[in-house]
Amino acid sequence: MSSRLRFDARVFGAFAIAVALHILGTWLIPGYSAPFAIRALLVLASLLAIASIGQTLVVIVGGIDLSIPFIIGFANVVAAQLYGGGMAFSLVCVIVALGAILIGLFNGAVSAGLGLHPLIVTLGTGTVVQGAVLLWTGGFPSGSAPPAVSAFVSIGGSTGPLPFPPLVPVFVLLAALVALVLARTPFGRRIYALGSNPRAAPLALIRPVAMWAAAFAVSAFFAAVTGVLLLGFTGSAYGAVGQPYLFQTIAAVVVGGTALVGGRGSYLGTVGGALVLTELNTLLIGLGLQPATVQAALGLVIIVLLSLYGREPAIRSTI
Amino acid sequence: MGRIVARLGGIGFAALLLLVLLVVNVWLTPGRFQPSGWLLLLGLAAPLIGAAMASTPAILSGRGGIDVSVGPQMGLINAILIKVLVLDFGIAHPLVLVPAALLIGALIGAFNGFLTTVVRIQPIVATLGTYLILSGVTLTILPAPVGPAPVWLKSLAGPLAFLPLGAVALSWWFISRSAWYDQLMAVGSDDRAAFTAGVPVTGVRFFAYLLSGIYAGAAALMLSALIGSADPNVGPTYTLIAISAVALGGVSLAGGRGGLLGAAVGALDIFLLQNALTYFNISTFVLQIAYGSILVAAVVLTALQTRAVAARVQHV
Repeated sequence: MSSRLRFDARVFGAFAIAVALHILGTWLIPGYSAPFAIRALLVLASLLAIASIGQTLVVIVGGIDLSIPFIIGFANVVAAQLYGGGMAFSLVCVIVALGAILIGLFNGAVSAGLGLHPLIVTLGTGTVVQGAVLLWTGGFPSGSAPPAVSAFVSIGGSTGPLPFPPLVPVFVLLAALVALVLARTPFGRRIYALGSNPRAAPLALIRPVAMWAAAFAVSAFFAAVTGVLLLGFTGSAYGAVGQPYLFQTIAAVVVGGTALVGGRGSYLGTVGGALVLTELNTLLIGLGLQPATVQAALGLVIIVLLSLYGREPAIRSTI
Repeated sequence: MGRIVARLGGIGFAALLLLVLLVVNVWLTPGRFQPSGWLLLLGLAAPLIGAAMASTPAILSGRGGIDVSVGPQMGLINAILIKVLVLDFGIAHPLVLVPAALLIGALIGAFNGFLTTVVRIQPIVATLGTYLILSGVTLTILPAPVGPAPVWLKSLAGPLAFLPLGAVALSWWFISRSAWYDQLMAVGSDDRAAFTAGVPVTGVRFFAYLLSGIYAGAAALMLSALIGSADPNVGPTYTLIAISAVALGGVSLAGGRGGLLGAAVGALDIFLLQNALTYFNISTFVLQIAYGSILVAAVVLTALQTRAVAARVQHV
């Protein structure tokens, strides 16, 4: 019970900090709460939160996925290239999603099946995927996004009476779905069970290899979704578009109160973490800091935040 | 006997791969592998070997222990040494620069250790925070590459290339005979069991990060020697490749198994692999694919081989 309370406190903490940062930004920077600025913030936070869906699952099951930025780049470039070549966009999406899911299944199955650290496996597959994409396009991807995708994520867009692009309400539904799956379905409970006790879970007829493969496949799938959405957002393909997401997805998950040792955490927390990171980035850039200084400040703030509410239990209390 | 088999088992595959790669490299480029060129090659491989060795103590300490800030540490120390001390203040004496490098490394290592063991932030995120801070600070004090490095420092990548690597290896040899080393391995394998047995887990882990920092200082010297200048963009690239080298060298990323020798062999493997692939003059994209696949294949084979060795040891 106490751990449950604590974990909710972490989720609450993440959202409280996001709100505090927003108030600080509104106070310091003129126009920080202007409608356009808030829309941009929500779109960026939604993109990060979608990219972090899989990372949350993977971390709860006890792993880590470093292939997310590479798969984002893969989906981004492949979708643009194929669509630019005249293929129907629905077919493009199916191809990209299947490719990503296969990579994810490989990551999870190899890591769990052979007892390898997923950090190395996902880094290796990510490197291969990036190399293959670069080889295919010769380093200069072409093509663009269909107008529908651009309209879906466009900061200036609106959804019926709502002043947001469709991405934001769709993301809210998706987030609720992910939270529901994690909390209320057998799949979700198995993920928590396997993450909190990898030795006991197989005795409860949970198959570790299948669960890991599924978690990493989900991760790769949502990385691919992010890649396609980013294509609509930026307008043109860019293989390294996912690079900032390497550490940001991990940071969002951890700021949201999910433990990297597995077994505890929630997607709601990750959404809070994504909001915190997006607020921070916007605030620091809005203050007119140089990119290098923004980076240093971001690192410092992540450390300070986690030292306030993201601390691990002392070893003497875990015996 | 079983213990020796178990200890060598982890790096057995990396050592075999090293042998194969050496033969391939000598066959492809006999000119580069003449005895007269050995020190030059060692200097070329040194920063990666140094970065891999620096990453090892933190990983050995277990429970997700890792220091992803090793690369940016090398970058910052490189920038401070060459840009601030040598060019701005005109201090170029080895007796100042070498202790300065190790001291800055020790300070950053202590900071990482403080964050992960006293504040108890999860290591990968804590050191990721340091990663961002260090690379940001490096770019602020050194927006673009400058040089040159003093002549004595450059010689550490040439005729004296064995010196920094030898010093790290020698220090680890002494450390691996200490009680701390046994405690580190105990904490890395099972920290709760070690704690109940009276091992000061927090202190042991803290020293592991401190040591990682000091070794990163040494690796920064090797990097500065090799590039002969200060460059803000080179350091961070070493982080992930160093961790790959560590894993390839049979060091368990779960902690408690492996050592600096394995990490160094793993790093040499990656260096020789890159060297051999470059010889074919293929595009860097193919190089990247080959490098990633061989990394995964090698780690898979290491895991299979470690299992086989473990099974054999159990039978004995």
